[in-house]
Amino acid sequence: MYNILVVDDDKEIVNAIEIYLKTEGYNIIKAYNGKEALKLLSENEIHLVILDIMMPEKDGLETLEEIRKTKAVPVILLSAKSEDYDKISGLNTGADDYVTKPFNPLELIARVNSNIRRYVEFGNIKEKRNEKVLKSGQLEINDETKKVTVDGKEIKLTATEYNILKFLLQNKGKVYSIEQIYENVWNEESYAAENIIAVHIRHIREKIEINPKEPKYLKVIWGIGYKIEDI
Amino acid sequence: MEKLRDSSIIKALCYILIPILLLIFIASIFDVIITTEYGEINEDPSKTYIETESFGRNYIASIFSNVSYITQKKLDNAILYNSRYVQIEGNDIQNNIFYDDTTSYNSSVYDFVRYIIKDKETENIYTNIKSNDYYKEMEEIKNQEIYWNYADNNISTNIETINNDNARYIISSYYIADELDNFEIYSYLDKVAFNSSISFSVQQVVYNMFKENPNAPMYTIPISAILLIAIIIYLVWAIGHTKESSKIELNGIDKLSYEILSILVFFVIGILISIVIGSIESRMPQKISVSIFIVSYVGIYASSMLWFTTTIKRIKAKKFWHSFLVYKIYSFIKRLIKKSYNKITDKTDISKTVIVLYIAFLLVQAILFSLSGSFLETLLIIVFWIWVLFKLLEYTKKISNINEALKNIYEGNPNVHLNEEEQKGVLKQMSKYINDIAGGFTNAIEQSLKSERLKTELITNVSHDIKTPLTSIINYVDLLKKEEINNAKIEQYIAILDKKSQRLKKLIEDLVEASKVSSGNVKLNIENININELLKQTIGEFEDKFEKKNLKIDLELPNEDVIIQADSRYMYRIIENLFSNITKYAMEGTRVYIELKNINGIQIEMKNISKDKLNISSEELMQRFVRGDKSRYTEGSGLGLSIAKSLVELQGGEFLIEIDGDLFKVTIKW
Repeated sequence: MYNILVVDDDKEIVNAIEIYLKTEGYNIIKAYNGKEALKLLSENEIHLVILDIMMPEKDGLETLEEIRKTKAVPVILLSAKSEDYDKISGLNTGADDYVTKPFNPLELIARVNSNIRRYVEFGNIKEKRNEKVLKSGQLEINDETKKVTVDGKEIKLTATEYNILKFLLQNKGKVYSIEQIYENVWNEESYAAENIIAVHIRHIREKIEINPKEPKYLKVIWGIGYKIEDI
Repeated sequence: MEKLRDSSIIKALCYILIPILLLIFIASIFDVIITTEYGEINEDPSKTYIETESFGRNYIASIFSNVSYITQKKLDNAILYNSRYVQIEGNDIQNNIFYDDTTSYNSSVYDFVRYIIKDKETENIYTNIKSNDYYKEMEEIKNQEIYWNYADNNISTNIETINNDNARYIISSYYIADELDNFEIYSYLDKVAFNSSISFSVQQVVYNMFKENPNAPMYTIPISAILLIAIIIYLVWAIGHTKESSKIELNGIDKLSYEILSILVFFVIGILISIVIGSIESRMPQKISVSIFIVSYVGIYASSMLWFTTTIKRIKAKKFWHSFLVYKIYSFIKRLIKKSYNKITDKTDISKTVIVLYIAFLLVQAILFSLSGSFLETLLIIVFWIWVLFKLLEYTKKISNINEALKNIYEGNPNVHLNEEEQKGVLKQMSKYINDIAGGFTNAIEQSLKSERLKTELITNVSHDIKTPLTSIINYVDLLKKEEINNAKIEQYIAILDKKSQRLKKLIEDLVEASKVSSGNVKLNIENININELLKQTIGEFEDKFEKKNLKIDLELPNEDVIIQADSRYMYRIIENLFSNITKYAMEGTRVYIELKNINGIQIEMKNISKDKLNISSEELMQRFVRGDKSRYTEGSGLGLSIAKSLVELQGGEFLIEIDGDLFKVTIKW
């Protein structure tokens, strides 16, 4: 049973999150401002914190700074502020993830699961050295077993999708246009039909990303191409 | 470094060192000159000199100039009136005695020779010695240290160089050989006066200085010269700087008119120099002339140093020319003319200025013509004409500058600034007005930009406050959906709540974005974008949505890549908004035409058939956000087109909408 500390000055939001996460089997500890959160954090064993930014007494970023002085617990910031600037400053302060309000409950749950898995389970497993394993962050493909996992969870891909992902992962960090991907994966000159690549890529994103519109691994650089982020 | 410069102690030391070093330098130079001229210097320099042939020649000359003078007078039968001799009376001897009164006219070796010349014919005695008994004096001359006598064709002397033959040869050059027998000559050298003559005095001083170390000048000349140069360079650098003030301050003497001060200083120096020369010539006792020399030397040094210091200070304070009396007079006259010119002319009435200038022009012209004639005057007139033309051109240049500034403002570029200080009169006033107008425009633009920014900030902040309660609404509606409600009506109501709360969410997001984009409050990250790739990517994103509505995409791309400079994410937003509109409003089962052209500029065209009748003009469609139009769409915020248009324009493109019946056509041009 993992303990999740939910911090927001809006009680209804805290309650709603509690309902969602309880059904996933988590134990919820509630706090309504930063001070309270810090106190509870020192008293209990907490595996993840969901933290609002705009709060009275001590705001989310100040609280996060305090937490980061002593603890490495994953923190998901939850805020109505949706500007790029807000997200970057939140992540720079030490947050592991950033979810904007109003949020999609499924997305929040997925992000909580992903962070908990990474923090609790993966933190203990020693990395297996395997030549056949390609990875970026928590995205892994094993070319022997043709298995794809994200945060340790297996993902089912079609053969084409698998080949595209494998090609991009082999060359992670580099941007490839649709034409280049086609030529490399199919090993032949591209024709007009190649725009199915864009569809495949969207499907891959929908499968491996928590929010396909804001992908973590498979990034779209509009008007230029696609790449796997080198994490 | 600054301490060194500002220290008054070091400066005082320098002022003391300069005259000492200068004396050492001069003495050393003397030593070198004398040594090269006469060989070694002796303790008694006059003795060495007496042994030279030159001395002998001069000695003889000093006597025989007198003898020939007397002979000449005798031949002319002139009595010795109006001559250099004065007859002395009242002696017990019967001879006539004539005394030489001119001893102090020359300062050469001649004057140190004392003589008694006896004319045997007339028994007259000519002399420059004062005595009561000249016959006794003649006898005793032999006892002098250096003497030269001539009597009865016999020379008796102790000067080697003018003994007998030697002397006769020299004497013969005076053409008085025949007359010589008529004279008896007795003479001696006044050794005391001779030794104290200036040349030997200096030699003696120099000898005493370098007695111990005769090679010293080899060192003292370069060392004192280098030190002097160093001190003067230091002073040039440091003069005027003090601890008290960082600026060079002029006071007292520095404020005197420069030419008056200079004349005064050189006058004083001139007087002091003539005093020194006078004291040397009048052959005062050595002690007195030395003290006069020292006092004058200090005086000359002090006044030239004063002049040097104030000159440097004035130059450093950049007031050198200003401190001239001539300059003061010049600037006074200039001010006077300017003042009266300003009084006559009026800033608001240009015609007066023009008349005054025209009269001045005619006057100068008339004066120049009346000079008439020569080449120089003609040249002067031509120079004047060229100067007037130059001034007129300068004035025209200023006017065209003002015109340029006005044109800029008229064209909507109020970042104009005219230099008011460079202008005069009416032009100055015009420049000021234009600057004020330009400033006003710039301010107004800045104000409106600021208020746009504030508006965007307000909308963003309000949106945060709306999003929080909306979060709860969306979440609890979602939770309600998951409950098992066996009531079709309630389920239907919940479905409506769900849909509307999602729309509210989208509206708020679009509202914030639209306000940011329309106020230009976005940061563009410009890079090379391939439109072919962008369209393919976006179609890939929308593939399932198009399929759901059974829309067939007809994509036509040129064979080559079409590259533009734009922000990648905003370019996607534009295409995404347009595609999203198509999925919402296009009639199901129709074809959608997407075409990219690269002929005469880049052009993206999207055509589709609307499912509803479009009873709204294209302008109204795009300005909904601004005008708060009443007609609403069933889905979305209706801000998509407005956002897309703003984003295209922000990146320098053109966004057009055409509606022809049910045909909806969007064109984006670059």
